[in-house]
Amino acid sequence: MKKVFAGILTAAMAVSLLPAAMLTQASAADYKVAMICDSSISDGGWGAACYNAMVDAAGQMGWDYEVTDSIAQDEYYNSIVSYCMLGYNMIYAPGNQYTDAVLQAAEEYPDIAFALLNGGEGTPAQAVNGNVTSLLPNATQIGWIAGALAGLMSKSGTIAFIGGMELDTTLAKYAGYTEAAQYVAGLDGKEIKVLDPVYAGSFNDSNKGIEFAKAMMDEGADVFFGDASAVDSGARQAIDEANTAAGAISVYDIGQPSDILGQNECVIGSQVTDNSSLVRLSMEAVENGTFGGEVIYGTLQNGALSAGKLNADLVPEDVQTRYAEFIQQMIDEKFMAE
Amino acid sequence: MNTAFIANLILATVRMAIPLLLISLGELYGQRAGMVNIGLEGLAAIGSLVGFLVSFVTGSNWLGLLCGALAGVAVNMIYAFATVTLCADHTVYGMAINIFAPALASFIYRVYFGSGSELSQITLMRGVAIPGLKNIPFFGDLLFNQTPMVYITVAIVIFTAIFFKRTQAGLNYKAVGEHPRAAATLGISVIRVKYLACVICGALAGIGGAYLTTCYSNTYTEGNVAGRGFIALAAVIFGRWTSGGILLACLFFGFCDALQIRLQVGSFGIPYQFFQMIPYIATIVVLTLIGAKQAGPKANGKPYRREQR
Repeated sequence: MKKVFAGILTAAMAVSLLPAAMLTQASAADYKVAMICDSSISDGGWGAACYNAMVDAAGQMGWDYEVTDSIAQDEYYNSIVSYCMLGYNMIYAPGNQYTDAVLQAAEEYPDIAFALLNGGEGTPAQAVNGNVTSLLPNATQIGWIAGALAGLMSKSGTIAFIGGMELDTTLAKYAGYTEAAQYVAGLDGKEIKVLDPVYAGSFNDSNKGIEFAKAMMDEGADVFFGDASAVDSGARQAIDEANTAAGAISVYDIGQPSDILGQNECVIGSQVTDNSSLVRLSMEAVENGTFGGEVIYGTLQNGALSAGKLNADLVPEDVQTRYAEFIQQMIDEKFMAE
Repeated sequence: MNTAFIANLILATVRMAIPLLLISLGELYGQRAGMVNIGLEGLAAIGSLVGFLVSFVTGSNWLGLLCGALAGVAVNMIYAFATVTLCADHTVYGMAINIFAPALASFIYRVYFGSGSELSQITLMRGVAIPGLKNIPFFGDLLFNQTPMVYITVAIVIFTAIFFKRTQAGLNYKAVGEHPRAAATLGISVIRVKYLACVICGALAGIGGAYLTTCYSNTYTEGNVAGRGFIALAAVIFGRWTSGGILLACLFFGFCDALQIRLQVGSFGIPYQFFQMIPYIATIVVLTLIGAKQAGPKANGKPYRREQR
């Protein structure tokens, strides 16, 4: 009886561990791409944007795609290798934190392409088989896009930033956010205090985002930007609740990396990264046999980065105009040039 | 450090302690009947998903909590059958629940919502302010402006204390965890009590998980239980297997977490990693001190075979 029960339980566990999508996908295309992600693809932020980028690019290129999300850190490598063993042509890992796992798998699977979003500039050179490419949106420019809006919109003079983990790209976004906000406010003779970045230590714990946002609002922060996936969703919930309690929307949030205007009342705009074009370029390189060993940059200049739509109800027209001017200056490489 | 900082810190402590407290109380009912269930993380995970899903579909947070409880009970029956009827190892099946239940939750979420990237949100349970009392300075918001679940959780703590200390049924229940054979000679159905313990444990852990998605966060993300099931285990030991002790333990753990978040925001020029260590250091220190005088139920985790002498 005990053995039968153990057998039934084991079988049930094995089935439940299969990703649902894996049960429904039938392979028809010549090429296949698989994405791994430690946050959820339904997080309304980073995970969702990266997944949509892959879906868009795969749709344009006629590739099959698969995803495994919400994986723990110790499962990065195993998840990648599982897809390698299933014969996927390209592994898409959207985050600097996957670097070690990607390099290890890339060494063991020389015929498979590994596209590392937010990978380091030196990472492709570290791949023994030359089969790793970094897709690198300019994190400083991302910070600028959000920071300029924060500097224009902050009334309290205090703004906040929430991170998931202390990654190089997160630090660069924070630095860009800080300098742009202070520069823009400085033009109006205002001073902006940017609270030190806080880290949830995870991209999934939305409750931490709620608590961080409440604590930062207590410190006077009235504009938020983040790089923490579902943690940011929690922060937006707390901001919405605070605005409701106050009877007016006076605390704002800036989304990234897709346009999330309308998702929450507090969202005044978004920094948008067209990861889809970067993934598509990788796919083209795979098909042409030229993949690997390079860094594909995403910038304001090549159109991979942009500012999303602004909330016309919350952002005054003159601020919209000035913000557009600042974005143009960034594109023309004249922002903070003086 | 001003009054507002302290008041907000205490409010954050309560918010973070309540789900922990519900899960810990579930474990208390389990361990008092000799059932050491380390699968709380899994039970809370399935409760969290079902609570969110039902609230999302029906718009009723109460129904979500109820179904979260039922889901916790249903999954915990696997553990109950294996450990009570088949006398299998508690730790092994507890771990199995921790692997199985979150994966099952993930599977159900994907089946219902598909592989789409849209963020699903629900309306959270509203707080109930007690007129007049909520305006009391400092303590008003803390004690009299919470969701009904906070008041219910405190009521469960009080009921549990009375049940185990002042009622015959509670003493019989505890006897099963202390000396099941002696309890059986007094006519107590040990097997029935152990199954009842698993039902209560599953229900409270499921509600603890459902609380996260019906009263705390309006979205569901995989992994949102975030280790609370394991901290709840520590809270039961820290709380010396009493509901009052567990209440204090959960408030302590909630306070440590709330404090590290508030200190990160204040920063004071200290690396944030230092603050993130606070809850873990506090857990280790407390368990080291408490562990020296362990006073758990004597038959904890031991299989009960009726015919064995």
